[in-house]
Amino acid sequence: MNRERWQQISRIFKSAISLDPEARNAYVAGQCGSDESLRAEVEKLLASHEQASEEHFIGGMAAEAVAPLLVDENEVGPPHRTFSNGQQFGSYVILDPLGAGGMGEVYLARDTRLDRTVALKILPPDISTDKRRMQRFRQEAKVASSLNQPNILTVYEFGEVNDLTFLATEFVDGETLRDHLRGNKKLKLTEILDINIQVLAALDAAHEANIVHRDIKPENVMIRRRDHVVKVLDFGLAKVTEKRHTTVKNEDSEAATAFKTAPGIIMGTINYMSPEQAQAAEIDERTDIWSTGVMIYEMVSGLLPFKGATDSHTIVQILEKDPVPLTNFTQRKVPGELQRIVAKSLSKSPDERYQTAKDMLIDLRALKRKLDAEAEIERTSSPTTPIPAVGTPEVRREPNKVRVLVIALIGMVLFTAAIFGVNSWRASRTRQNNPAATPAAPVAQRTLTYWITVQKYKDGKPYQEPFTLAGEINFEQSYQIRVNVQSAQAGYLYVLNEGPESGQPEYVLAFPSVTTNNNSPFLPAGQAIQIPEKTWLQFDNEQGVEKLWLVFSQDAVPELETARQYARPQTKNLITDAGQNKILQSFLTTHSTTKPELEKGETLTTLRSAGKLLVYAIRLEHH
Amino acid sequence: MTVGRLTQPRQHEITQLLAKWSDGNQSALDELYPLVYDELHRLARRYMSRERKGHTLQTTALINEAYVRLVDQKNVHWANRSHFFAISAQIMRRILIDHARRHAYAKRGGGAQQVSLEEVAAITPDPGRELVRLDEALKSLAEMDPRRSQVVEMRYFGGLNNEEIAGVLKISENTVTRDWNMARAWLYQQLSETAAN
Repeated sequence: MNRERWQQISRIFKSAISLDPEARNAYVAGQCGSDESLRAEVEKLLASHEQASEEHFIGGMAAEAVAPLLVDENEVGPPHRTFSNGQQFGSYVILDPLGAGGMGEVYLARDTRLDRTVALKILPPDISTDKRRMQRFRQEAKVASSLNQPNILTVYEFGEVNDLTFLATEFVDGETLRDHLRGNKKLKLTEILDINIQVLAALDAAHEANIVHRDIKPENVMIRRRDHVVKVLDFGLAKVTEKRHTTVKNEDSEAATAFKTAPGIIMGTINYMSPEQAQAAEIDERTDIWSTGVMIYEMVSGLLPFKGATDSHTIVQILEKDPVPLTNFTQRKVPGELQRIVAKSLSKSPDERYQTAKDMLIDLRALKRKLDAEAEIERTSSPTTPIPAVGTPEVRREPNKVRVLVIALIGMVLFTAAIFGVNSWRASRTRQNNPAATPAAPVAQRTLTYWITVQKYKDGKPYQEPFTLAGEINFEQSYQIRVNVQSAQAGYLYVLNEGPESGQPEYVLAFPSVTTNNNSPFLPAGQAIQIPEKTWLQFDNEQGVEKLWLVFSQDAVPELETARQYARPQTKNLITDAGQNKILQSFLTTHSTTKPELEKGETLTTLRSAGKLLVYAIRLEHH
Repeated sequence: MTVGRLTQPRQHEITQLLAKWSDGNQSALDELYPLVYDELHRLARRYMSRERKGHTLQTTALINEAYVRLVDQKNVHWANRSHFFAISAQIMRRILIDHARRHAYAKRGGGAQQVSLEEVAAITPDPGRELVRLDEALKSLAEMDPRRSQVVEMRYFGGLNNEEIAGVLKISENTVTRDWNMARAWLYQQLSETAAN
């Protein structure tokens, strides 16, 4: 096809697709006149257009289709692999890659002097340059290792080969707790207790020797395959990485580099950080108690207790938020005693936590004994009926990847301020929240403007150009709509769809989503967004009144932050957990009693509400 | 090569090249290309090996990270961001096609195997080969209509939304939508025809 012909076809095509089928045929016929082949070409293209939109041809993104291919099948090992199998490294021979991460690369290797198999961890060069810190790390790790506690990974040797610092440790044939959690959707409570009792036993021994781990998280806990013995890795290593945090604090440009060289490290650890770590304050062994509490919380509920849209939000949560009690989750019955233990370990003030790992261990052990005994009674008293499974929907443990990425991106910008400016930031935030502190500050108010874009459909095809309206009309089922929202103030927006069905409503999270606003609820002042950003909302067969709940808040809303972790693209963002839907329902009912002031214009509706929170339901009637 | 350390981004240089390119200097693109290619490729692989189980890759997120890593934020105009995204879309296309091609080739390289009819029917379309064909069709489109082909590139390979595309190409969003419709219809037609052959 030549250019000229193409131009001709595209001109007709462009106008034709905006017409309904009848007018379209007449238009095409009129435009093509006697040129039959031109008409055939245009018609073929129009048919392809219909087919392509019906089949959502190239509707997603290329990367989704072929991303798995990026990891070539014939490539072995982790991405940053530096050494190949059989290669000599000092007196070790590399056997196989075991993993890689911010803390370096780990290989299975053979120590040729002693003919034993070891795990060889080669630290990134930028970590190993600070000799004084390295010295301290060696010392701590050696001491921890020499405690001969079965739950502490044994360190065989430290050394340097060609300026690379390495660490040879006992090789544990097993998986990290992180992988274990991924592979097992729902661990039994007794298993969770058992694992953490062993972690605390390791911590207890280390704390006795004045060694704080500082980085307890599922990635640093290994479970040996053969006997399920738990091994805590990397005692003292976190200390070395703190150096990077310090550089971030001192020097802006260096901060950028430090961050860029190791995004994984910083982002990976933040969720388990204690308030004192997040504030870069003095820490002691009670920081490990906190992190263990976070880990138990995560293992029981499948959710992190502190997880905001960005790193800085997470930090604020760590400093200020009380996590949803474990007993509130419906997917399993959590003993009140476990909630008490976890809540105690997650006290913001170290003085209110368990003071020693031993105290916490004793409580967990007692609880485990109690549960074991109960299970035994149940088993013997009703031998024919199996113990009923608790709860219905399973918690998906796989972390929401997209969120992770988005957090990574937003987190980058805010990171420096987040970790080190946290105190001043908090101070300014308090001022914001408290009008009395700054006399000039206006009374808190929320203002939100919305309008609806409608695309009509006729015979399954778009019909006429989309139009906008200020509010609520009777929609036909075939209409597709988009909600446009503009916020006068910066804040957190959540949009939930509630169907017309009676009974316990199930909510669909319409905003934020992976495809809309990068999955972040935060909107800067004046920002307008389309919900959804790239597609349209469609009505389903259920007729009646759909509600689109707008929740616009000055601060992130904990109920919604938790609930939205249950909304997943796989279920079209439907929140499947019954307990979460109940929580949402009660939240929406409670907060919609004070109706916002409504101002309807020709094409826009403006909602105003005094206070920090605005809750409003747009009613969409369709038949 | 060093262990675990990411290649040091040549931030300043990249920022300057980006500025030159947006000022219309085409040779800047030749220099920019390999630098961005390396970074995007590395990031994509890192994400994929970390996320092997789920196989989701958010192109926009990826490019955003590359942008933050590669471009010196202090010395860049905000408008450069969309230019960066535009060229990243081009590069993502190259990266994905390279891999798709290699993948398709590796499959063929296995030699002509005897397959029973049932098996043939059960074979699902290979996303790699589909993508290679799309790429070829897109090249033909570019010869007739470079702008429409760019719209597809930015949207499908780069994950840009219509507004961003409109910004880069300096056309209205409506035009982007129309371009997209036309291009998509034509590509669809091309692919169904080659598939039939």
